[in-house]
Amino acid sequence: MQKVITINLNGNAYQLEETAFGLLRVYLDGAELQLKDNPDKAEIISDLEQAIADKCNRVLGAQKTVVTTAEVKQIIDEMGPVEGAPGEPTSEKQERPRGDAGAPKRLYQIREGAMLSGVCNGLAAYLNIDVTIVRIIFIALAVITKGAFAIAYLVLMCVIPYAKTSEEHAAAHGQPFNAQELIDDAKRNYAKFADSRDWKRRWRRQQREWRRHVRPITGRWWTAPPPAATVGYAGQIFAGIMMPVLTVVRAVIFWIWLCVMASLLSTNALFGWPIPDHVPLWAAVLVAGVAYSALVWPLNTARRASYYALGAHDYGWIAAWDGLLGFGVSVACLWLAYQYVPEVHDLADHLPIVRDNIQNFLRDVGIMRS
Amino acid sequence: MSVQEKFSAIRKGLLEFLILKIVAIDKVYVADMLGRLSATEFKTQEGTLYPLLSKLRREGLVDYEWQESDAGPPRKYYELTAKGKAQLAELSAYWKDINATINQLGR
Repeated sequence: MQKVITINLNGNAYQLEETAFGLLRVYLDGAELQLKDNPDKAEIISDLEQAIADKCNRVLGAQKTVVTTAEVKQIIDEMGPVEGAPGEPTSEKQERPRGDAGAPKRLYQIREGAMLSGVCNGLAAYLNIDVTIVRIIFIALAVITKGAFAIAYLVLMCVIPYAKTSEEHAAAHGQPFNAQELIDDAKRNYAKFADSRDWKRRWRRQQREWRRHVRPITGRWWTAPPPAATVGYAGQIFAGIMMPVLTVVRAVIFWIWLCVMASLLSTNALFGWPIPDHVPLWAAVLVAGVAYSALVWPLNTARRASYYALGAHDYGWIAAWDGLLGFGVSVACLWLAYQYVPEVHDLADHLPIVRDNIQNFLRDVGIMRS
Repeated sequence: MSVQEKFSAIRKGLLEFLILKIVAIDKVYVADMLGRLSATEFKTQEGTLYPLLSKLRREGLVDYEWQESDAGPPRKYYELTAKGKAQLAELSAYWKDINATINQLGR
């Protein structure tokens, strides 16, 4: 028994078995890919859809309303592979020389062979120089600036996206990406690869990697979230800038909120402004809590979105890194408050009073009995 | 390598010429063309024919008009343009030359 999916072929509805739908979809997506540079793409696709629809009509009748998988296979066989317009540029593209100016070159971080995060590696690929030179320059700059340049490295680490897909790796080196190139590269690298002594280790690692990617992602709440829709290069840079900013803002808001609560509970006032008489303390606390949630919720959502944008595979690492950053900001906030805000100094000395106030508050609400 | 495979590139290259020849006789629609070619060495499929026709139309060699059909939706009927006719004449002449050359050369 199969689920039936209704599709629209050039304006008419047809019912297909689920598998049949999958096959047809693959066929039409493939056709679109083939015709991607064809100015008449839309028209040809609709012609093809009409031809498929005609063939579907042939197998359908008053008593038969669903097109089966076998029938769709037959129809696709009859249609034959869709070719980009014959005798047109496809051959020119293959002759394009390696690394020509047409291929967009972009700055990425490259994990493979990286010392730290891959910033230098990516820069070296981008500038087409040896990675050691870039590293020496970075270390020299760090020494000259007495370490301040390390911050620049951290910023670059956040901002420059990782090259994750083969296309992105190709763009990092400014090489054109197409299947033939990949095959050629693989062949070339195989010779080196077969010679190297640690090929077994690498092979095992590669297999693990594949398994990791193949593992179904959905259905388990604790695995990485489903892969994000692919985000463009600009989007990744934006996410790289926004993520630490959002984290800092969120941590600061958290500590402000904590101060507000402390101020409310210890002095029955908001930093010296007394709360109006007709508003009970619990209502003020509630309002502060709701306001905090309302502020933080969109920030958290945006942060999570930027994790996805930066790389679904590295979600865990990015989140952990972000968590450390948040913790660092919190420690900094505490230290600053302790140094420069006399109230906090006082608060540290008056912790017992706060405890009493909390007890009173709970008694007011009726949770704790005296 | 079979004979068919050896000539596959040539058959592919000749398809455009043959389509022009078929369209020259009368207004035809795609299923007609496929039918005429199906019994020959040049048997082809929609996946090939539609992109080819769109290319010919873009080059101004053929044009089509919609005609109602008894069964189902209206169909595109293709016909040669003046430019298409001129092109077909040229191609025919060239093909005759090639044929003559093949016959003359060798045994």
